[in-house]
Amino acid sequence: MTTQRFARALPDIFQYVFLGIAAFLSIFPFIWMLIGATNKNNDIIQGRLSIGSSLQDNIASFLTKVDLPLVMWNSIKIAIIGTAITMLVSSLAGYGFEMFRSKWRERIYSAILLTLMVPFAALMIPLFKMMGWGGLINTHTAVILPGIASAFIIFYFRQASKAFPTELRDAAKMDGLKEWQIFFYIYVPVMRSTYAAAFVIVFMLNWNNYLWPLIVLQSNETKTITLVISSLASSYTPNFGEVMIGVILATLPTLFVFFVMQRQFVQGMLGSVK
Amino acid sequence: MYHKSILSRFAAAALAGASLFASTAAFAGEVTIWCWDPNFNVAIMKEAAARYTAKHPDTTFNIVDFAKTDVEQKLQTALSSGTTDALPDIVLIEDYGAQKYLQSFPGAFAPMSDKVDYSGFAPYKVQLMTLDDKVYGMPFDSGVTGLYYRRDYLEQAGFKPEDMQDLTWDRFIEIGREVEAKTGHKMMGLDVNDAGFIRILMQSAGGWYFDDDGNLSIEDNAALRAALETAQKIMKAGVYKPAAGWNDWVATFTSGDVATVTTGVWITGTVKAQADQAGKWGVAPIPKMNIEGGTHASNLGGSSWYVLESSGEKDEAIDFLNEIYAKDIDFYQKILVNQGAVGSLMAARTGAAYSEPDAFFGGEKVWQNFADWLAKVPPVNYGVFTNEVDTAVFAHLPSLAKDANIDDVLKAIHSQAEGQIQ
Amino acid sequence: METARPGGLKRYYDVNEWLFVGPALALIALFMLYPIAYSLYLSAFSGKGMMVKFAGFGNIIRLTKDPVFITALTNTITFFVIQVPIMITLALILASLLNNPRLKFSGFFRTAIFLPCVSSLVAYSVLFKSMFALDGVVNSALETIGIISEPISWFTEPFWAKTLIIIALTWRWTGYNMIFYLAALQNIDRSIYEAARIDGVPAWARFVYITVPMLKPVILFTTVISTIGTIQLFDEVYNLSAEGKGGPADSTLTLSLYIYNLTFRYMPSFGYAATVSYVIVVLVALLSLLQFYVARERR
Repeated sequence: MTTQRFARALPDIFQYVFLGIAAFLSIFPFIWMLIGATNKNNDIIQGRLSIGSSLQDNIASFLTKVDLPLVMWNSIKIAIIGTAITMLVSSLAGYGFEMFRSKWRERIYSAILLTLMVPFAALMIPLFKMMGWGGLINTHTAVILPGIASAFIIFYFRQASKAFPTELRDAAKMDGLKEWQIFFYIYVPVMRSTYAAAFVIVFMLNWNNYLWPLIVLQSNETKTITLVISSLASSYTPNFGEVMIGVILATLPTLFVFFVMQRQFVQGMLGSVK
Repeated sequence: MYHKSILSRFAAAALAGASLFASTAAFAGEVTIWCWDPNFNVAIMKEAAARYTAKHPDTTFNIVDFAKTDVEQKLQTALSSGTTDALPDIVLIEDYGAQKYLQSFPGAFAPMSDKVDYSGFAPYKVQLMTLDDKVYGMPFDSGVTGLYYRRDYLEQAGFKPEDMQDLTWDRFIEIGREVEAKTGHKMMGLDVNDAGFIRILMQSAGGWYFDDDGNLSIEDNAALRAALETAQKIMKAGVYKPAAGWNDWVATFTSGDVATVTTGVWITGTVKAQADQAGKWGVAPIPKMNIEGGTHASNLGGSSWYVLESSGEKDEAIDFLNEIYAKDIDFYQKILVNQGAVGSLMAARTGAAYSEPDAFFGGEKVWQNFADWLAKVPPVNYGVFTNEVDTAVFAHLPSLAKDANIDDVLKAIHSQAEGQIQ
Repeated sequence: METARPGGLKRYYDVNEWLFVGPALALIALFMLYPIAYSLYLSAFSGKGMMVKFAGFGNIIRLTKDPVFITALTNTITFFVIQVPIMITLALILASLLNNPRLKFSGFFRTAIFLPCVSSLVAYSVLFKSMFALDGVVNSALETIGIISEPISWFTEPFWAKTLIIIALTWRWTGYNMIFYLAALQNIDRSIYEAARIDGVPAWARFVYITVPMLKPVILFTTVISTIGTIQLFDEVYNLSAEGKGGPADSTLTLSLYIYNLTFRYMPSFGYAATVSYVIVVLVALLSLLQFYVARERR
């Protein structure tokens, strides 16, 4: 009797063990990051797993090397402005492609999807040249501009728009609303969970962006937190205790955004793959 | 503690006096400088800037500290896109890359032949920054090599400082076996992602990847062959600790793991930064390879300052470099003591600091030694493709460790390098 | 009246329709198409830095003779062939486990497994570097469990360096794919599963015969996206290999990293770098077509 019950419970136990291991492995580096921030450089390299007493030292030496308020402000500014513009431009396009079908626009849409295949490394030199012509080198505008029209986000919004009830649009038209009014007063509020999910994705892309800012941002005054971590970690004598402080600071905002918007995010994803 | 000698004090005073008359042109700009090592060239440039500002209060400096790869990458992007306003006024370039930049981007760097007296510098430094009879750049530090060793570990294994002088690499390996048996410490750290160690060995026997005409020379290169054989012996003897990349390699000795470090003199600042290891280090000449032309002296790295032609503060930048790096003997004494920088201005070596003993190294006159070894470094032609061939070389280090035939490895390096240098 | 004229009204709507997609199209033309065309133009030239001359197909011929290019291509394909299937399978299994309505703590598990996606590539590579150090926490854990007796040289042995990249990629992206599957699974009618369960269909068979076929479009979508990402792989190998060189022994050198090296580390050769970048474009295009073809045939 008990063995039978056990046999029936076995798959369940296996399930929990499997998920438990997966969850543990997923979370462990974050725990490691927190522990590391309290330890000395050598202890971190030697894999010390207990909480040390160097947290204050690490923070202090991090702050002597990094102008934290400025760096965080740079990162936040780029991420927020970049995300807002990207969402506006891409959702307009996604809406436009889905609502107004025409032979030409379908062709253009397919062409846009093809641009997903072009590696960024191939665009770097021409893009940098263009930023030079525009006098935008070492500005945050140069960081934001190339990312705004993202094929992936346009695709995402077009997929999501398929779930936008056509009756709503027809009714609004009957009431004499213009297309832009339908978009801003009806589509945007109705699709807010789609926007929330897009916000999480685009914010992370912008916040974590590395290679392009590395190239266009030339001075210490314009650097973002990602660049700061990488230069701390690749400096001649890196102090991993310090680096860990940077890693935590770079991870907190994306964690925050994710936890605040988690529900909308999952709902938004639901829409995108229908 | 270092005390200014009367002589250098006098020299500084004379210089200051001379500059009162010399600097008639009033500069009033901000000079932006890119460099990469906060313990080394950044700190040195700050010292140089402070000295210049003291006499020319209108000139200010913005010294930007990037990782070395970032500096190279930013410089190369900006030059290749022709976006000169993104560039600084002065940039630090490693000597191996000098010709690459000068030849790839003609007109990008300011020639300084008519403003700077180059006769006072080590000739090999001037040669590597010369193109079509024009000299670009200000020679900075030398990478003369030494064998840094832990006195305490070697003593435990039964070796005195005298036993470390004038070694061969075979003897070095024997000592390494003893050290590991008695202390548990590996003899050296070896970065498998870098061919620096191979380059040290190769140049110590007067060889490089290229012949005098700049043609690739791999398969019939006796010095390179001997260098690879030596590296293979060390790997097979297992007396090394493998490291992945620069930071990892530095950690092998800052953490006290390994007993010796064979590298350029610029590492001294990093070694001395470990205050708890004071008095435990010594420096000997590097071991010799048993081939014709093998010596105990070599070079690794070293870098120089270059002024961008497009710089808005071009004249000011050149004047600054000229006044400090080509004339200020006292400056060289200070950076030697504080950062362990062996400059390439010959006159600087007569300064007092070079003959001072260093307590960190158990009272040895290490600077005098380095200055002596520097004179013996075999001159070689770095060519323009050192980075490319380097990649081909370290790509084959793991197969060396696995007992690969040297002929095969040379052949593989040759074919890989050939594909890269078109 | 203006609006009464059909032609005018039509033209009005036409312009309006283009206005929605206009800003995106303009930006894409400027920051995508123009650079692409410019790279194509560059790929016909060769030389040192700014000293270039017309080479025609010279760069393509050079490709075939370049052992480093072959290594980079092989590595890239290896990462793609091994990593993408592992990740997709793992993500599917996790998603179908989490879709079980009777599962306790499913919210916790879901959040935990998705968490890696919020870390930045630079940040996580720094973490992985310290965790996988020779004396680091991963090796000591493996030794304690008894899986290994000697510490693994994650950064100096070519095989393990490749493995580490695969582990890192899987850690970072499995949760991301899982969320897509989870979202799609919630659209599947649960009664199908209930019916199968009552009929005694075992869990693995429900997974293979119900879940996978139902999710085919999403699997296709994520596979294509992962393929594109893996073939363009740059950030991870750049940040995880020493000094971003793709070592040891070029074992983690990918095509994108090779392009970067050709542009920034070596004697700058933009023409050749642009030629290599077009190899990536062709490769991704072929693989995407293949995946669509495979998916269509089985339907």
